[in-house]
Amino acid sequence: MSDQAMVAEIVAEVLRRMEGSNSTANPEVESGKAEVVNLPDLTSSEQRSRSLLADPVDPEALARMMGKTAARIGIGRAGPRLKTKTLLTLRADHAVASDAVHAEVNPDLLERLGLFTVQTRCSCRNQHLTRPDLGRQFGEEALAEIKKRCNPRPKVQVYACDGLSSRAVEDNLENILPAISHGLSRHGVEIGTPFFVKYGRVPAMEAISEALDAEVTCVLIGERPGLAIAGSMSAYIAYRATVGMVESRRTVISNIHSRGTPAVEAGAYIADLIHKMLTEKASGLDLKL
Amino acid sequence: MNLRTVLSGNTYIFGSLNEVLGKANEEKSGDKLAGIAAESVTERIAAKEVISNLLLRDLRENPAVPYEEDEVTRVIQDGVNIPAYNKMAGWSVSELREWLLDENTTSADIRRATPGLTAEMISALTKLMSNLDLVYAAKKISVPATCNTTVGLPGTLSVRLQPNHTTDNVEGVTASLFEGLSYGVGDALIGLNPVTDTAANTAEILKRFHEVKEEFAIPTQICVLSHITTQIEAVRAGAPCDVIFQSIAGSQKGNEAFGVTSEIIEEAWQLLKQQGSATGPNVLYFETGQGSELSSQAHHGVDQLTMEARCYGYAKRFSPFLVNTVVGFIGPEYLYNGGQVIRAGLEDHFMGKLTGVPMGVDCCYTNHMAADQNDLENLSLLLAAAGCNYIIGVPGTDDIMLNYQTSAYQDAVAIREVLGLRPAPAFEKWLERMGIFENGKLTKIAGDPTIFTQRRTGR
Amino acid sequence: MPDYQLISVGIDLGTTTTQVVFSKLVLRNTSSYFSLPRMDIVEKKVVYTGDVHFTPLTCENIIDNERVRALLEKEYLKAGVSPREVSTGAVIITGESARRENARAVADMLEELAGDFVVTTAGPDLEAVLAGKGSGARDYSEKYSCTVANLDIGGGTTNIAVFSGGEVVAKGCYNIGGRLIKLDEDGVVRHISRSAEIIAQSLGLRIAVGEKADAEQLRRIACRMNDVLEQALGFSPEDEVSKALVTQGSTPLALPRRIDCISFSGGVADCMMTYGGDRLFPYGDIGMLLGRAVAEGKLLRRYKMINPAQTIRATVIGAGSHTINVSGSTVFCDKGVLPLKNLPALCFSKSEEERLFVGEVQLLSDRIRDTLEQSAQSNLLVSLRGEKSPTYQRVKGLAHCLAQGADKALAPELPLLVCLQADMAKALGHQLESLLAGKRSVICIDCVDIQPGDYVDIGVPIGEGLVVPVIVKTLLFG
Repeated sequence: MSDQAMVAEIVAEVLRRMEGSNSTANPEVESGKAEVVNLPDLTSSEQRSRSLLADPVDPEALARMMGKTAARIGIGRAGPRLKTKTLLTLRADHAVASDAVHAEVNPDLLERLGLFTVQTRCSCRNQHLTRPDLGRQFGEEALAEIKKRCNPRPKVQVYACDGLSSRAVEDNLENILPAISHGLSRHGVEIGTPFFVKYGRVPAMEAISEALDAEVTCVLIGERPGLAIAGSMSAYIAYRATVGMVESRRTVISNIHSRGTPAVEAGAYIADLIHKMLTEKASGLDLKL
Repeated sequence: MNLRTVLSGNTYIFGSLNEVLGKANEEKSGDKLAGIAAESVTERIAAKEVISNLLLRDLRENPAVPYEEDEVTRVIQDGVNIPAYNKMAGWSVSELREWLLDENTTSADIRRATPGLTAEMISALTKLMSNLDLVYAAKKISVPATCNTTVGLPGTLSVRLQPNHTTDNVEGVTASLFEGLSYGVGDALIGLNPVTDTAANTAEILKRFHEVKEEFAIPTQICVLSHITTQIEAVRAGAPCDVIFQSIAGSQKGNEAFGVTSEIIEEAWQLLKQQGSATGPNVLYFETGQGSELSSQAHHGVDQLTMEARCYGYAKRFSPFLVNTVVGFIGPEYLYNGGQVIRAGLEDHFMGKLTGVPMGVDCCYTNHMAADQNDLENLSLLLAAAGCNYIIGVPGTDDIMLNYQTSAYQDAVAIREVLGLRPAPAFEKWLERMGIFENGKLTKIAGDPTIFTQRRTGR
Repeated sequence: MPDYQLISVGIDLGTTTTQVVFSKLVLRNTSSYFSLPRMDIVEKKVVYTGDVHFTPLTCENIIDNERVRALLEKEYLKAGVSPREVSTGAVIITGESARRENARAVADMLEELAGDFVVTTAGPDLEAVLAGKGSGARDYSEKYSCTVANLDIGGGTTNIAVFSGGEVVAKGCYNIGGRLIKLDEDGVVRHISRSAEIIAQSLGLRIAVGEKADAEQLRRIACRMNDVLEQALGFSPEDEVSKALVTQGSTPLALPRRIDCISFSGGVADCMMTYGGDRLFPYGDIGMLLGRAVAEGKLLRRYKMINPAQTIRATVIGAGSHTINVSGSTVFCDKGVLPLKNLPALCFSKSEEERLFVGEVQLLSDRIRDTLEQSAQSNLLVSLRGEKSPTYQRVKGLAHCLAQGADKALAPELPLLVCLQADMAKALGHQLESLLAGKRSVICIDCVDIQPGDYVDIGVPIGEGLVVPVIVKTLLFG
């Protein structure tokens, strides 16, 4: 649904453009005022939706084709190379994606949500990227902190993790967390004390599950960013997760972001899914959906 | 077998062949992650020195994973041509390197020697090669392969057109396909990585590829890269298919993690002989990539370069049409930055060629690596100079489904022009007929996907 | 998740013919294993095509209820399908039939007889769109990324739908058809419709019931009918005759800038391909003459003609296979409420909707009362655009407004029914359920596009209970 929505937005934009109004100039510039004017944002959907082909044989067909995919088609060429605008848009998108990986989650957000932070055995971002083995483990102190601050033996332990995109946490956590919590409360299930894991990989959930003796553990983690979207979140959920368990015991819900599955809706779905796991006492491939 | 040396006054003693192979590797984050990399640059060079003096016999007789334990080892060892091997068994790795680089050693000489080599010899050799060595030597070796058309002839650079889509929407896929064709790419393959791995979905996309291929009489081949068993199911149900794909690894355990065995690959091969839509004889497509064995804990403590070399040895048995390494896809824990990716791309291409498989490279990177588009462009230009059979092409470098960046449709066009390379001959003729190509250059209409929609509706 | 199969019935009670088809619809989770499910109808396959029956009439203006029933029962028997197996479908009463005195009663009888979630639809616009889908014109326009006009020329009307890249961009209907004049075996005129009279008059011709027909005169009438179609497609400005022949209740055909291809369906489409035999009136009407006039006219000279997948059966296949949609796959449905039929849609402007988000209960309750009063229905469907990626607080705010609005304006025993375009129904449903707990049931679905004035049918959840079938109708029958 999400892609279709995104694509629909682009088509509408393309068609609107084709209807006339090709002027990109800023009226204020035209009227000669010497004001400070921003160039258009290359990463905006309006800019993305424009075909850069000078003279397509069939402009309407091109608009329809561009409406069927988010791929960068209709971009034309400068000789056998990319046009300047395409090149710079790609650089901009890469920059945004790269920042999403390397930035830290805004501490204000964590404070607002009342989440404390624990760090895996990775000491820095670079180690986090190159040592996935350390990103799934906690030192003694971190484990003690988790045990001290969280309700023990929760039916459902939900926590957030930067993973490969801090941006994903910043974009989605505030909306997905209450939706999960509310959704589960409808079934009379209370979630354990949520917190934030820095420099974490997905399998860290197993260490947490064991430390707290949680029945279901759910991590809300940043996905590796693509050029199109830097803030995509995944939820990995497992029933009675244990260190070293097989991957197939995890249930994954990916593609949670503003142009994919909206965080609130994903949260509601995840709540129902966790409730089902509690009922069936299973997750991953063992859980019949 | 001597595993010790002195360098700069320090004595280095290596405990095993696998240890020295791991430590001789150029720096890769994946070998560090596996805990088998050299501790220092000096130790790395000491390891290279030890390797250069090893005999090819030593490497044949000490495969990285024991023969009894591992099917990949058995396939490689059982495939060795004895006379070719006997001629070289007493050579040191250094001698092999210098023979290969000798300007009087011809492509034909190398192709005759190739059947006597094992993956471990090729891996050891590669550790002694500089980047330019890898380009120069690979350039001598041409390994063309023929499905419907022949790809990999000297003087050509082909492209696998990869029109991926976030939901496999057939019309969206077709849009990207037309865009690519309009740039003169797609001569190696039209091949999609699907989101949904089902036979029905695979068949639906294959059907569309087939329709377009027939409608415009495009001399190329088609494939949907779902799991091999899914593709088999689709072909059995009547889907048109030229090429069947599978990811492979350098150990049996790694292949098991991919859900594939030699029997399954044989089954696919037989099926295409009987029901495939291609003339052949080469109808299989394999993808590899350094680090995949470690990621499935199937590396047996062996370095990622050696495991990669073993992939090619395994692939050779099935006379594939295409083999490519997806060199920068796996992430910074295996290849950290642009330098490591470029190095790995050149290594893999060289090793594949020397093994005797028709080698292409997906020059790519992910957004969590310390690499960018410039690294990728450098690598693709180097590879084209090295005679790489094909690279990948996607709209504007951005693969919206796999979330990584690879070569743009435009890249192959520019590289061909820079290096004086051409598309596959049959495909070039077709491009000329379509008015996309003229005298080896793009025409004015090139880059406009609607030239295809327009002709389809007969306007 | 395995595929889920539905049997869908299409019943077309047309001016001239009545047809039944059964289709198999395959519902599949098309999303990857790692995403939320997304159930889509991925395959629509006609599994049984009934005979083309003449629509039984007791006299010119009354449909023979009993013979229609018998005909339907026979087709179910022949198809080996029992109404219990039919999950969905549509009865469509088209052309002149819709204007028969007892049309409504017949439709109700058919709906009752046909299966569980079979609905009745009517309206010339809808016919045009269904015929264009059934003929394959829509799919062609999508596959070849072009604009296709489909003309479904039946006995009483010609329904025109224009598709561009798979979307409907124009629709319209004219009283042009093969049976506007009927003749008996001896070539004596037996019936002249009002529309045929208009055309004859405009040509200065005099034809009368009971008189032997003059073939040349009828040929000229057929050519004039073709003129109307050509005018409709913009060959020349519409004249008075064309204007007089626009079907009542249809939308004026607003053509897009360009049409690439044309296709023909309906009974007359077959005549276009088969004329030239020795009999001028093989069906006792002027269908052959009209087919010939269209085939030799300007339409085929200007546009590339595509071969339709279906001709005479286009509308019934459209009804059987293309009326049903499925909702988004994350919805909220309290048990025991569905199915519901003929729900009037209550729509809001964008700015009004914003007022609902911030809690303007009065606006909602007033509009609920108005809509119920105007439609004379007991309940309605609150239709909102929703937001693409709302915050939790916004969803909560909207839920409060909806719950309170329902309490003020809906009878206490009635469920609250909400439909959104944006993907947020489960989240909103959860909030509504908490607010209305035990007091009122909730249905909250999404990813359905509803326009003001639409009526909506919602079926029981299918496909592992993930989605609900939804049928959006442009107008209620009658």
